[in-house]
Formats: sequence, structure tokens, C-alpha cells
Amino acid sequence: MDAHRSTYKETKLRNAEIVMAPERLGAMHQNRISFVRSLIRKMAHQQWQVTKHEWQLCTRGFGHVIYKLATPEHVYHLVVFCDEIADHERNDRVIAEKWDVTFALVKGDVDVNLLERLRANVPLQEAGRNPNNVLVLARANKSVRVFEHLVSALAKGQQPDPKELADVGYILRTTAVYGNGKFGIADFKLLEDNPDFNQSFSAQMCAVYMLREFSLDWVHFLAEQQGGEQAISLHRGLQRYLGVGNATGLGMAPYLINHPCIVDQWMTSREKAIGQVLAMPCDLQYYDGLRGLINKAICHLTQVITINEHQDLLNDKALAELKTLNENLWLMMSQHSNWSSLIEQTTTMSLEAQEILTSCLIELYPELVDEFENQMNTEEALSIPGGKTVQDLLNVLEENYRWAIDADYSLAENNYWFWYRSQDKEEPRLGVRGQEQGEERELPLDIGRQVNRLYHAISACPAITSLAEFLLQSPQYRAITRRVWTLGHREMGDIQMNVLREDALPMHLLRCKLAIFGATKFDPRSDRWVRVTFFQGAPLLDEINDDNYMDTWIFPLMPNQDEVDRSENQPIAGGQTL
Amino acid sequence: MIVSHNELVAVVNKAFLGMRRHCGEADVIANMVADLQMVGLNGVRHFNNASSFLSFDSDCAVSITNSTPTSFDVELHNGSVACHLPAVLDFALEKMVGNKSITIQLKRCHNRWLAFSELVRLSAKGIACRAQWTNGTSPKRTLYVLNRGCIAPEVFFSDQIEADNPDYHSMLIELSVSDFDIKTSSDGYAIHIDSEELSRAQKASWQEGIFVEDNEWEALKRSATVFLVENSEQSAQGAGELA
Repeated sequence: MDAHRSTYKETKLRNAEIVMAPERLGAMHQNRISFVRSLIRKMAHQQWQVTKHEWQLCTRGFGHVIYKLATPEHVYHLVVFCDEIADHERNDRVIAEKWDVTFALVKGDVDVNLLERLRANVPLQEAGRNPNNVLVLARANKSVRVFEHLVSALAKGQQPDPKELADVGYILRTTAVYGNGKFGIADFKLLEDNPDFNQSFSAQMCAVYMLREFSLDWVHFLAEQQGGEQAISLHRGLQRYLGVGNATGLGMAPYLINHPCIVDQWMTSREKAIGQVLAMPCDLQYYDGLRGLINKAICHLTQVITINEHQDLLNDKALAELKTLNENLWLMMSQHSNWSSLIEQTTTMSLEAQEILTSCLIELYPELVDEFENQMNTEEALSIPGGKTVQDLLNVLEENYRWAIDADYSLAENNYWFWYRSQDKEEPRLGVRGQEQGEERELPLDIGRQVNRLYHAISACPAITSLAEFLLQSPQYRAITRRVWTLGHREMGDIQMNVLREDALPMHLLRCKLAIFGATKFDPRSDRWVRVTFFQGAPLLDEINDDNYMDTWIFPLMPNQDEVDRSENQPIAGGQTL
Repeated sequence: MIVSHNELVAVVNKAFLGMRRHCGEADVIANMVADLQMVGLNGVRHFNNASSFLSFDSDCAVSITNSTPTSFDVELHNGSVACHLPAVLDFALEKMVGNKSITIQLKRCHNRWLAFSELVRLSAKGIACRAQWTNGTSPKRTLYVLNRGCIAPEVFFSDQIEADNPDYHSMLIELSVSDFDIKTSSDGYAIHIDSEELSRAQKASWQEGIFVEDNEWEALKRSATVFLVENSEQSAQGAGELA
């Protein structure tokens, strides 16, 4: 029997106008083909082994640590440097220059020479140079509050207050995780033939997952240093509840605009997975499973704490809608022939609630969905085939880019922002046109406006004009024409958002990418900056093959106080033992 | 300096965007530079040279003259090959429909080395290419021959100039559905860089990183900072407030 036999059947996909609308992208949630989920399944199925290789921390917790990762194919090492920094130096923005923790995922062994080279460069991050056997370069800061609370409580032999952990959800928060050739490290091309990390961002996700293990080992080590034999291990449920935080700012938005084929591929694969599920009958045997998942989502949303009032309101609304949905679920499932029909009845719910329902439904059908986790990579070339006319291009525009050609770019509100990079570590920023300096160095992220200009330019040409001839005479339109032609022939195409518009929310773009990665607990700190958590609820390394934990962690939940109180405290096992 | 492909492409992209030009596509030009650099043919140096002059060229569309079914001339108005070649080749391929070959004479153009990448792409599509030009400095004459499906060209150099009044600012490109005879094409050229050698260099660049001379890399990075906006208090808030 072929275990990898595809069960894929061609199904109708939702319209790109629905899927690629920014508000919906800004409501996306983790699902079972999000990168963190597929990584954990792969690690489990292939029995990847992670071991502590070196633990060279002083009693205060500074120094370096190396973890070894062995896959069936290769050996890697995660090299972590822990440095003492002052509180005022702890900054999540790209302009920071010091971090509590810096780390690198390296392919192969780490000898003394390489370790010294890494020690001299990894803590410098962007300012360092690393060899190209480094796959991932990243840094993280502590949640000082959680870190200190955990160490202090465990050192005294007490479990921490779960509510203190729930507010944050992690010990360490990454502020940048670089891969694909950044600052001289390995290009993704080098991984294309590497079955371990040939899916985009999988090496970065793996490094972050290993960092989560380190964060737990680190607090255990320090608790043991402070408390000696009195120190205890953190309750396993609480360990599982702690993921790795991430602070993401505007820098992620240009990625989504500059890599449209990748975004299309991610969204198309997800839509194909959704399409498979929506075509299935509303079989009542799924009632308990779906109801359980929706309940889990309700509890999760109840536990999510955000300082952002708007997000809080959205969460509250989704909570109420999901409760109502669950109350009526049996009846709804009885009335509809398939999930697609049921979903149509739920379009009055908020986008947050709709997207949660979609994630829950996908969860019910691993046999239909999981094959799409391997369809996230794509070619990025933007090209125009020969023999096309201006009319052919007009057709593509009118069919796929109404959002751009119908907008009136003579209105100030449609040109309100300009995007630029600052001299300050090239941090991407937004400025108000006509008010702030830098407009003349605007980044070309204005896809909607470029499409609009192209449309008007070709509308003035005879329809039978060869496109090649038009572009020879109007070379300024060639780049946007390549994009429009390529994306216009892909399933989902471009994100349908004018990022210059006064009310455009970059947060929608950030949320989309973070959800594809598998982030949870979206906590916007402004309209351009969000904190999330990765691997919250994910199995710990030593339980990755346990079916109870391996793939059950969508919408992570905090263990309740009773559960923590009932369990017997365990001594710390291996905080510094190799 | 050893750099990654992504790093090199990103820096060229930024440098070109910083020039705020009408003609030319940053992503395409970035790949032209990277492809040339990876085979050891000094893509970064050629781009840096081009950068020094791009601000002086006319930055306007090309003009087509002397068009016949099998040939045409392109007036680049002192423009860079890098900025116009992709569109010229698209146009040429359309003209080739119904013909088995076409000859393109690029006139008053610069940065002819940067044509490399686009010609390699054509050979991958089953079109054989032969490109040649004369230069004011050594090597005086350069010839690429890229037969169908080849992943790297045979490159030839000569310091002998045959014409009485050589044109130092044009480039002859021949496209054909049939392969060119390399021996006949390279007659009179003294130096040959084998395509195998270029392929080996490219493979090594992927595996070990791309070598770029330190001074060229520094010059490129300086060009890439042109599009950066000065920092200010107001600007710092443009990334979003910190909680």
C-alpha cells in the first residue's frame, strides 16, 4: 500500500476576492498545515532526536549551550549564546543591538574553530558575518516577568501562578529569525535537496522549536542554581503551555508584497485543503469532534489577553458567535448536505469566527488535508509569455484586479501613506505623504496604484497591439505587467490591498503570514506591530511521539489550577545534565 | 568577501531602486548581476561601473530601426543593456515566429556583459544565442556562444580588432532555433573560457557562497544605501509605537 497516495480530488475553490481580502487575511488562525504543525508531525514521524550537546552556562545563566539535532539524513546543532544585558537595552525592534539570547542553527558538526567564529559573530546578528553552513540566525529577549517568576517559584519548590504565565505565554520572545542567505548564511537553494528542511521556513521553525526547549531548560537550570535540592520541575502542562513569543513589525509586510507567488502558493494550498473538506458531507459522526474543537477555541479565546482594544472586541464577538454556533451545531449539521453549504450559512459571523471555524473543520480531516503541507514551495519567476496582445492583458486585469483598477488614485486618501526604509538598520517605516520626509525614496510596494496606471496606459492603446511592442515603448510598465500576468494566472493571485490607503492596516499582512507559520495568541501592540506565540501547546521534545500531544495542540489551553495542584511536584531532571 | 545569493540580489535590487529610474527592472537586473558574478565574470564590478553612468543616460524607451523579417536594430540612446534587453528579447522572439533566426544590433548601449543572464535563459528555452561586441579596452573583442539547452556559454576573447572603425558601443546578438558552430564562430579569438569552467564556478558559488572583491562589495553596499531615509524622531514612530 502506498502510504503517500494522494487523495486529492479537484474541488471548487473559494473566490480570490473573498480569500485575498485584507480583512480576512487579518483574521486567519493556525491550521493543521501551518508550518509549525507540519514540522512537529515530521519530527515525530521521522523520529528526529534532539539532545543537549554542551551546557556551558555560569551559575547566573550566561554562556553558551549547544543542542544536537539528528534526523535520518543529517546532523545539525543549535548554538545558543546567553548574554547579560541591561533592562534598557532590551528592545524588540530591528534597531536593537543587544539581546538576552542569540542563536544559530548549523548544519553539521560544530568544532572549536566554528564555535569561536559563531561566538564572535552570532551575538552581533546583522553586524556579524557567518559561514554558509549556518541555516538560521536569530535572537530573542526574555519576558523578564515570566522568567523571574518561574525561576523564583521553582527554586522555592513551588509551581508558578498559571495566570502569570497566561498573560504572556512564553519565556523567550524572538525578535528576528533570519534564514535564506541573510547576512551571508545559507541560501534556501542549498536546502532544496535536503529532505529535512526543503519546505520554506522549516529550518527557522525548527530552530524556534528547539529554542523553546532551551528556554525551559534554562529556567530549570537557574532554579536549581538558586534552590538546590528544593527546586522542582515546572508542571508539564505548564511547560507545554509556554511557547516562544515573537514580536513582528512592519518589516514582515514588504515580504508579502515582494513575494507574491509564495503568498499565492500558501493561500492556494490552504484553499485546496479547505475545498477538500468543504466538499465532504456534514456527517454527524463529526459532531463531537467539531463541537470539541470549537469549545477549545472558545476557551482559548477566553484565555487570550491582549492590550489592543480592537482585537479584544473582535475576540469577544467571535466568542459569542462561536458559543451560539455550538449551541446550534447539531441542527445545522442535520440541515446541510455538506460543509460548504453549512459554511455559507455562517457568513454572517465575524471574520474571526469564520476563520476559527475553518481551522476547526480542517482539523477533522487529516487524511484529506495533510498532503498540502508539502505544497507550500513554488517558483517565484514573474514572466510574460510571447504572442500576447494588449487586449489579453486587459482581460487579465479586468478579471483579477478590479480592486486596483476601480480605485480612484487621484484621491488623497488612496495615496495617504508612503513606505520607506530608514537609515536606522533599514527598518521599514510608514510616512504620511506630503508631511514627512523621504517620499522621494518611496518603496515600490504600491501594487494597486501601479496596476491602476498600467490599466489606464494600455486602455489608451489599440487592443491588437502586441504586448511585447507596448513594453518596448513603455518599459516602465514591464515589471508590473510581469507580475499581473503571472499572478493573474495563479489561483489566488495578489493580496487585494492598497497599502497606501489611509485606512490600510499593515497588521492584516502580518497576521496572514504569522498564521501561515502557525502563530497563536495575536496581541497587536499597535496597528503595525504584533506579539504572538509559536509552539504554545506543542508537545515537549520527549513527548513528540505521544499521540495525546503530537497533533492535538490547535488553540492551546492553559492547565487549570486544580490540575496543577493535583499533580505531584517532580525534581528537575537534567537542567544541566548532558 | 563571501556573500549569499539572496544577499547579493537584495543589495543590487536596493541599489537599482535607489536610482529611481524609469527603465529597467530591479529584480531582473539583480539576477543579471548575481548570475554573472556566480560564474566568476565580475557581475558586481560591471554593475558598479554601470551605476556610475546610469544617472547620465537618457532613461528613455529604445527605438527600433531597419526592421526586416530577420533582423532589426535597436537604438538604446546611451542606455544600459541591463535596462532594456529583456523587452528587446521578448520583441525579438515574437519576430522570430515564422523565421528560424533573427539578428539584433544594439546601438549606443552600455554594460554589455550584463546580457549574460538573459541569454542563458533563452538557451534554456531552446533558442541558441551568439553575442559579440567590441570594447575600447582589453579584451577588445568578446564573444558568447550559447547553444540550445546549455546552462553556460562558451566565452571567447581577443585583443585583435578586425574593423577599421570599430564601434565600441554596439552589440550584435543572433538568435536561432539551430545551434551555432562554435569552432567557426570563435575563429580569430585567442582566449576561450570553457562553459564547463563557468558551470563549476556557479556550482561552487552555490555551495560555498559567492566571492565578491571587497572593494566592489563595499561600493555596491554604498549604492544600496541611497534609498534609505534619514532617521528622525518622527520617522522612528513610523515603524509603530512600542508597547
